[in-house]
Amino acid sequence: MSHFSTVRTELRDRESLLAALRDLGLDPKEGQAAVRGYRGQQEAADVVCLQDGASDIGFRWNAQAGHFDLVTDLDLWNRPAPIERFLSQLHQRYALQAILAGSASEGFQVSEQRTSQDGSIELVVTRWQD
Amino acid sequence: MPEQVLRYRIRPDGRVEELVEGMAGPACTALTAAIEARLGPVVSSVPTTDHYASSATTVLTDTVSSSANVHHVALQHGPH
Repeated sequence: MSHFSTVRTELRDRESLLAALRDLGLDPKEGQAAVRGYRGQQEAADVVCLQDGASDIGFRWNAQAGHFDLVTDLDLWNRPAPIERFLSQLHQRYALQAILAGSASEGFQVSEQRTSQDGSIELVVTRWQD
Repeated sequence: MPEQVLRYRIRPDGRVEELVEGMAGPACTALTAAIEARLGPVVSSVPTTDHYASSATTVLTDTVSSSANVHHVALQHGPH
């Protein structure tokens, strides 16, 4: 039976996260690295986007929760978009990348992709059943 | 040989609505489970009737609009 589902996006897949960060113009580096914060304090992360200012943006794998957590110094946040908007954009791009990768691996091809007036991305993927 | 269609609406805050057409039974659930595993927890899932062969457009539209109303109630908190 077909179904209609709603999913609350979590940053679970490393490759999709990297692709989403690149979509937002960031340059993510993989592997254990330090995220800089207030007065040179550092936090370890698994994915790090070095920033020009005093603080970087990182993501640390949370094995218990099964997704990546954001690691950054919120007091030193200096990107154009506020943190909430940045996270929303990141989750939207992540969702797109995760669906594209997941559906492609199942043999689907993109037949339509567009952005609607409210900012939603509408995506249609199709395949012919064997 | 039916065409299988996955329709996604990815909202600006990252919430995803997914509509599956043209798949019957467990295969439908198994397929989307693989994609949902990368994506996040399924907040709600509503089976739709498989009338795609006769009147796909009508059924699809009805399903989206009626289901969307239900989902919006449960999804005020966004992805965080």
